[in-house]
Amino acid sequence: MSLNRSFFVPLDSPLHRLNPLTKLTFVFAMILPAFLSLPAFAPGMAIPVLIAVFVGGVQRQYRGLLFKLILPTILFMFFMQSVFLPIGETVIFQLGRFDVTLEAMQTAFLTVSRIFVMVSSFAILLLTTHPGELMSDLTRRGLPPQFAYVIISTLQILPQMQAKAQTIISAQRSRGLDTESTFLKRVGAVVPLVGPLVFGSLVEVEERAIAIEARGFTSTRPKTSLHNVPDTNADKIIRWIFLALVILSLGGRIWLS
Amino acid sequence: MEVISQNAVYFAVVLVIMALLFVWAYLTGRMQKEFSTMTWVLIPVAIAINLTIGQIVLVLKLPVYLDSIGTVLVGVICGPWAGALTGALSNIIAGIILAPDWFPWFPVAAVIGATAGVMANIGYFKTWWKVVVTGFVIAIMATIVGTPISIIIFGGISASGSSLITAFLLETGRSLLASVLTTNFISEPLDKIATSLLAFAIIDGLSTRYLSRFPRGENATVEKGQKQTELIIALVVVVLLILFGVYILPSITGG
Amino acid sequence: MAIVNLENVTYKYPLTDSPALQNINLRVDEGEFVAVVGPNGAGKSTLCYTIAGFVPHFFKGELTGTVEVAGAESSTSSLHEWVLNVGLAFQNPFNQISGAKYTVFEEIAFGLENIGVPRDEMKVRVEEAMKLTGISDLADRSPYSLSGGQQQRVALTSILVMQPKVLVLDEPTSQMDPIGTREVFGVIRTMAERGMTVVMAEHKVEWIANFADRVVALHEGRILLDGKPREVLTSDILLDKGFGISRYTSVARKAKTRGLWTRQQLPVTLEEAAEGFQDV
Repeated sequence: MSLNRSFFVPLDSPLHRLNPLTKLTFVFAMILPAFLSLPAFAPGMAIPVLIAVFVGGVQRQYRGLLFKLILPTILFMFFMQSVFLPIGETVIFQLGRFDVTLEAMQTAFLTVSRIFVMVSSFAILLLTTHPGELMSDLTRRGLPPQFAYVIISTLQILPQMQAKAQTIISAQRSRGLDTESTFLKRVGAVVPLVGPLVFGSLVEVEERAIAIEARGFTSTRPKTSLHNVPDTNADKIIRWIFLALVILSLGGRIWLS
Repeated sequence: MEVISQNAVYFAVVLVIMALLFVWAYLTGRMQKEFSTMTWVLIPVAIAINLTIGQIVLVLKLPVYLDSIGTVLVGVICGPWAGALTGALSNIIAGIILAPDWFPWFPVAAVIGATAGVMANIGYFKTWWKVVVTGFVIAIMATIVGTPISIIIFGGISASGSSLITAFLLETGRSLLASVLTTNFISEPLDKIATSLLAFAIIDGLSTRYLSRFPRGENATVEKGQKQTELIIALVVVVLLILFGVYILPSITGG
Repeated sequence: MAIVNLENVTYKYPLTDSPALQNINLRVDEGEFVAVVGPNGAGKSTLCYTIAGFVPHFFKGELTGTVEVAGAESSTSSLHEWVLNVGLAFQNPFNQISGAKYTVFEEIAFGLENIGVPRDEMKVRVEEAMKLTGISDLADRSPYSLSGGQQQRVALTSILVMQPKVLVLDEPTSQMDPIGTREVFGVIRTMAERGMTVVMAEHKVEWIANFADRVVALHEGRILLDGKPREVLTSDILLDKGFGISRYTSVARKAKTRGLWTRQQLPVTLEEAAEGFQDV
């Protein structure tokens, strides 16, 4: 479950060269129609998403994500919904006392298509955009710099803490903790795991706050940015096109229904 | 479909209320006061605590999530808005990089942090039994916000284990809304009370000097001399409330 | 000319009864290198935080007396303006990494971004600062992948690049191994040689003897001694209180009672001791 490192793949593809905001617009241009437009749209949105994977040249890394993260989630979701959704008449087969109907499977397919489009388009953004570049571009456009701090800091602290958790779990295992043992023992195992993990990282907070204040974190002057993130005319045109597509797809939904 | 359009109205109302609250808190400066440098530095740590402990609990296969300990912590010692931001960002970040099915629940996570903050502000995070009450209130708020999300995005059945309860209730002929509400009413209080108690235990272990650096550190000053019986009474009351809710909810919602 | 001036400073942390600093009077001239010695809990860190503005702005609590740096008064200034004049680095190098940046170069530029330095100037200043502290080769590494000594040099560079008028260092080598210690002292020495005003809490007495212009001995929140390094570090008062004494001073003091040390001045460093013992 833990995919630690930053997803970014340093390449020089047309997608890598786009401005981060353009790629973020792409993400929402995929997600909004998938969730809000006609149900028939949702599976169709997978096509532009997959094309983008190839344009970005990140097929190999995307395939890794697909098998480790996306497919396990959506297959499980598909199973749960097909079996347990209490809708439809057309029974295909029975599983215990639950009817698996064609309608439930259709709904399940719709749900997983939406999730597929959502996760995949975010994956493309992260695979082709350095998080630092994304944040410095958004900060330049008015996102409070503290948000950029929170996002990037989380992305750096999370793998560190997961590694620490792994160490603690292995240490506890060698001292006889069994994650397969009885319920009460497993409940009792939570506390010795949580304590060492939490207190150490909380104590660091005060000194880190001092360190960044010493470096002008709360300065009221207009901030500048080390990196210049290019934003071309092509970027602007592409963003308008995406916006138009979103409006069209949503308008289509209202007009048709 | 009828249920879904009702929910859309409900969502619009909630959004408007949220927007008004936001404007009010911003204009009165209440929101800005919660975001000191200490808060900004604590939030990433709290998110990492949420996600890491959430994953450990998953490994231990316990019937709880415990994935909002950090959110409750920030809500209590920094304030409701900081708690809400921590919760929302936790689920958004986890949804993008760890587990896609977390993403749609970010409003629930935000409400958990906000509720913890409000309860702490009125003094309900100072003794064990008050923390149990807070946990219960958080569970109710999480149910109110989570139920429509569950129905709109997942048709009532998501990838979490508690969906099996929903499926069972649906099978016995209850309505979708009643089934989802009842499920949440069974699964949420246990998780949120455990979460709040763990957050309280963490706060109890931190020095007053350290806590006083945060905008609402005084919310967490533990009142000493509490008896264990109070905790037990609180837990019994909560169990009774859950049973009451499970019995009464289906009849209210016409299930 | 005094660039740092503390007058009758008494300070109490919130929720405590006894003051951490009592009636402190301290003047530091421009370009002076002042070392602060004292046992644990003497108030060394509190003194550093006071000059750096974090006491009382960050830590709250009660401060009486006046704190002046570069003509500005602490009680009437805000912390974010104060830090432009005073740079602060402290013990734990890991906790000084902002966490907001992916490379050492970006990490060092973080402070300049915050105070709005234009991009071209920023790059030049970061490169110069890295050259000065000898970490140019680390520019593209992740700050988290470095050794303690390297991280501490990055922390120092991140502060120096902001060009503060006064540098406050709170035991910057206390968590370093010998190699890290040498690296970090190397940077501080460069700073001192370039005429930077430095106030440094430190317990490595021999090192202080070589580089400090002045030594201040703190004990229980009060200034016990304030003077030339060799006078302070070999004083009988420090011996009484049991801190700030190098092992060479102790050996020579014992030797003196048996007539094995003939010089008037007791040694602080190995070299001085070696020279003095050659006389006998």
